[in-house]
Amino acid sequence: MVRLLRVKRRRDLRRQRAQFGAVIATLFIGVALFGATSDAYRNLNASYRTLYADLRFADLTVTGGPVREIARRAEAAGALASIRAVTDVPFEVDGSKLLGRVVGMPSDAQPLVDRVQVLSGTYLSPSRERGVLVEQHMASHFHLAPGDALRILGPGGWTTVEVVGIAASPEYLWPARSRQEVLVPPGDFGVLFVPEALAQQLSPSSAADQVAVYGAGPGLVSELSRVARSGGSLDVVPRSEQPSNAALQEDVSGFGELAVLFPILFLAAAAMAAFVLLSRLVRSQRAEIGTLTANGFGRRTIFRSYLGYGIWAGLVGGVLGAVGGVALGAWITHLYTSAISVPITVIRFSWGTPLVGIAIAVLAAVLAAAAPARAAASITPAEAMRGTTPATTGGRSVIERLVPPARALPGRWKLALRNIGRSRRRTISTLVGVVLSLVLVLVSWGMLDTTSILLSRQFDTVQRQDAQLYFAGGPATASELSAARAVPGVAAAEPAAELPVSISDAGRSYATTLLALPQDTTMHTFLLEGGGTGHLSGTGLLVGKALSGLIGVSSGDLVTVASPALPGPIRLAISGFLDEPLGTFAYVSLPGLEQAVGTNALANTALLRFAPGADRSEVLNRLQAMSEVSVVVDSRGLASSASSLMGLFYVFVGVMLLFGGLMSFALMFNTMSANISERAGEMASLRTAGVGRATISGLLTRENLLVTALGIAPGLLIGYLLAAVFMASFNSDLFTFTLHVRWTTLVLSAAAMLVVALVSQWPGVRTVGRLDVAWVVRERSV
Amino acid sequence: MSDGKRSGATLRLEAVVKTYGTGEIAVHALRGVDLKVGAGEFVVLLGPSGSGKTTLLNVVGGIESPTSGRVISDGVDISSLDADGQTAYRRDHVGFVFQFFNLIPTLTARENVGLIAELTGGQDDERVVGVLHEVGLGKRLDHFPGALSGGEQQRVAIARALVKDPPLLLCDEPTGALDLETGRTVLDLLRRVNRDRGCTVLLVTHNSAIAEMADRVVHMRSGQLEHDHRNKVPVAAEALRW
Repeated sequence: MVRLLRVKRRRDLRRQRAQFGAVIATLFIGVALFGATSDAYRNLNASYRTLYADLRFADLTVTGGPVREIARRAEAAGALASIRAVTDVPFEVDGSKLLGRVVGMPSDAQPLVDRVQVLSGTYLSPSRERGVLVEQHMASHFHLAPGDALRILGPGGWTTVEVVGIAASPEYLWPARSRQEVLVPPGDFGVLFVPEALAQQLSPSSAADQVAVYGAGPGLVSELSRVARSGGSLDVVPRSEQPSNAALQEDVSGFGELAVLFPILFLAAAAMAAFVLLSRLVRSQRAEIGTLTANGFGRRTIFRSYLGYGIWAGLVGGVLGAVGGVALGAWITHLYTSAISVPITVIRFSWGTPLVGIAIAVLAAVLAAAAPARAAASITPAEAMRGTTPATTGGRSVIERLVPPARALPGRWKLALRNIGRSRRRTISTLVGVVLSLVLVLVSWGMLDTTSILLSRQFDTVQRQDAQLYFAGGPATASELSAARAVPGVAAAEPAAELPVSISDAGRSYATTLLALPQDTTMHTFLLEGGGTGHLSGTGLLVGKALSGLIGVSSGDLVTVASPALPGPIRLAISGFLDEPLGTFAYVSLPGLEQAVGTNALANTALLRFAPGADRSEVLNRLQAMSEVSVVVDSRGLASSASSLMGLFYVFVGVMLLFGGLMSFALMFNTMSANISERAGEMASLRTAGVGRATISGLLTRENLLVTALGIAPGLLIGYLLAAVFMASFNSDLFTFTLHVRWTTLVLSAAAMLVVALVSQWPGVRTVGRLDVAWVVRERSV
Repeated sequence: MSDGKRSGATLRLEAVVKTYGTGEIAVHALRGVDLKVGAGEFVVLLGPSGSGKTTLLNVVGGIESPTSGRVISDGVDISSLDADGQTAYRRDHVGFVFQFFNLIPTLTARENVGLIAELTGGQDDERVVGVLHEVGLGKRLDHFPGALSGGEQQRVAIARALVKDPPLLLCDEPTGALDLETGRTVLDLLRRVNRDRGCTVLLVTHNSAIAEMADRVVHMRSGQLEHDHRNKVPVAAEALRW
């Protein structure tokens, strides 16, 4: 008997292969995305771990203060330590000047900590005192190769060095200049690994100023950090806060979040599609089920048989998705590591991911099948053998009840309105499909909008300068500023002091950049945390809002500000917190800072705004040509390079739109199929009355679009809220992601849903056109 | 049409063959049927299951095309019409009544009938109400199908067929799902419609008792007309017994 049920199930599955195919396809995408994002998360972490171990990426990096004491303590505890000179100086490559960083390395062997992987050429050599290694991102941007030359500006003027090799460093896998400057245009910042002696010559203080420690456990890291802070170290950075690593971990953790979010959306959609399909199957097979039970099939047998539809759909979708996920995960990992230029890619297969994927697919499908299976098992033979399905009770729609004039609508509109409530299960299913799809679309499209709007906020509202100048002589003098103002195309120039500082209070400190600007600066808008704009005044310190949580300070608190560029620590009061998209900077008025320090020569840079309509590249070239200028930073460069990066985002959003479309297609297709199958008698009756196929298609389309439209408002709302939660999970002192969605995005998402609804109903509408009218009108239950 | 009434359709079937499938599995539903039906006639097609009577009705109604032969209604060869032509033919000339009513459960009796009028080009609510009065549902206009008895639902289905004022009414086992009393009421209604409106009625049934009410009875067996006779005195529907 049970064998017969298996045969029946096999044939049912074959007969409704399109509908089961839709369920399986949705499960497939869900499990594949789960596998791919989980594997990518695991593989990328493994790739980083392997690379970090191979190159002994520092567990702790301390700048300034008792570096030798820290190194001694680390070695005494069994860890490794490297002391080196690190200094930021201008570079010149083929006439282009950029902000550079030189990192001292032993020339006879790799350092003990923070080694580099030489990708081409050779490592440093004691015989080549001016031989340097170029960090891979800079080499790629300037097309540098071993044998090329470039210039470095040190205290003694420009020094020409020779490229001996191109290297990857665990500290600069993501080429961040600092925690505040994680996104730096590729032509504006570069790193050179140079012989330690050369690094010390280039350093203004001519002293080794940084220690990197590897092999230290959490206990040793916190002990060494304490020693560093109490000894006056400028910057104490554990590995988790190291700018490159922190930025990459943000990205990788995104995969971890997607590994949860995507499968939930797709598995929910698949479960709903399976539920609709199986519910309809059971309703259409009431007579068969009644016959089976009347002939001695037990309720449990019937229940298990119908549950089997779910198990099979779950198994097929799960296994296919698991296989697809493994392949997709490896592909994403390769794509990612090659885009980031991670020199080691680890792809590890783990049985856990595919098995969990299959299990959740089967679980989702079984849960979806449970209710219809229970309904099938509870059908009594006497009732079922009559072959009738319970009558649908009629009634006016909610709109007609609330708005009486709606009762005068034409019949086709009443039909559409009332069919919304005719099968709540199907209406809810369509609504869920629309909502889930919009969540998927808005989460991905929201990332695109948010990034683009935040960049615009950062570079159009917050930072208002067009360029930043650094001068060869160091401080920005009045004559240099006048010279800059005189350059054709420059509308305004302001002096500024840009200092690496450590802000501390009650034993907690945070390394950041302090920007001192004229009190009435026109180069920066200070957006306050609670809304509105603020101003610089006196010695009041405006700081990024993340600082409040990082070192536990509030407005009005006095904090200690220390910098190697200052003669000693100073105490400043926090006057407000800022809501800025990128970084956690600190700002003070230039006169206020000079007053607090007791000097009037702190300005070391100048911020420039160009005249409206000026040719940007021409003005930048003129500034580059100024003899007083060592580096010109195009402040809009990041905004323009970011918009080119948006291309990748568009691909991502496109893929998500496709998946969202597929998901809602699968759900709506099954809903429509069930709808048409159940109403075949009505449709056929209309056909026999001479109602044309196009008119019937119009009726169905009207109904379908109406239900879809109903789902759009809650879908947009829930999608927006979830996207906001998703984006907020990326917030840190590096970035502040507040969800921004353009109204055009909402309109286009809604329109996309209507298009998907139109497309997904097409097979069903075609079915109406092909109805065997003569057969259908004679059948009581089809 | 005269006196507000539209005259019934004439029908002529010439060597109509309908075969489903091919080769060994071919089913010959109609095997060269010749039949003439005059305007306003009430004809019962009688025969056992599988005799081809429903196929004949479908071919006449333009919901199936014959494999060969001609079906001429009011001088128009409907067997040569394409799908759109058949739809137009059904819209303008044919009213169907089936064993199962296939009403739309979310629309009231008035709306079920009105929807057909609306979708086939008529919007006249007065006519919709008039037809429902004609079938005896004047007091059940705004009831939903779920609140109507089987006989009432079948009467809504008849009103739905009549609202287009078709010259040809095709009924396939219209009493098959009804009890005796309700069945007789429905048959009485059909007979009245035939007389009052003058429309031609073809009624398919396997119930020989119903044949007594017809002007003419056509017996079918194995896809062919077995014999064809006229009732000298058709029996009133309320006198039928089965």
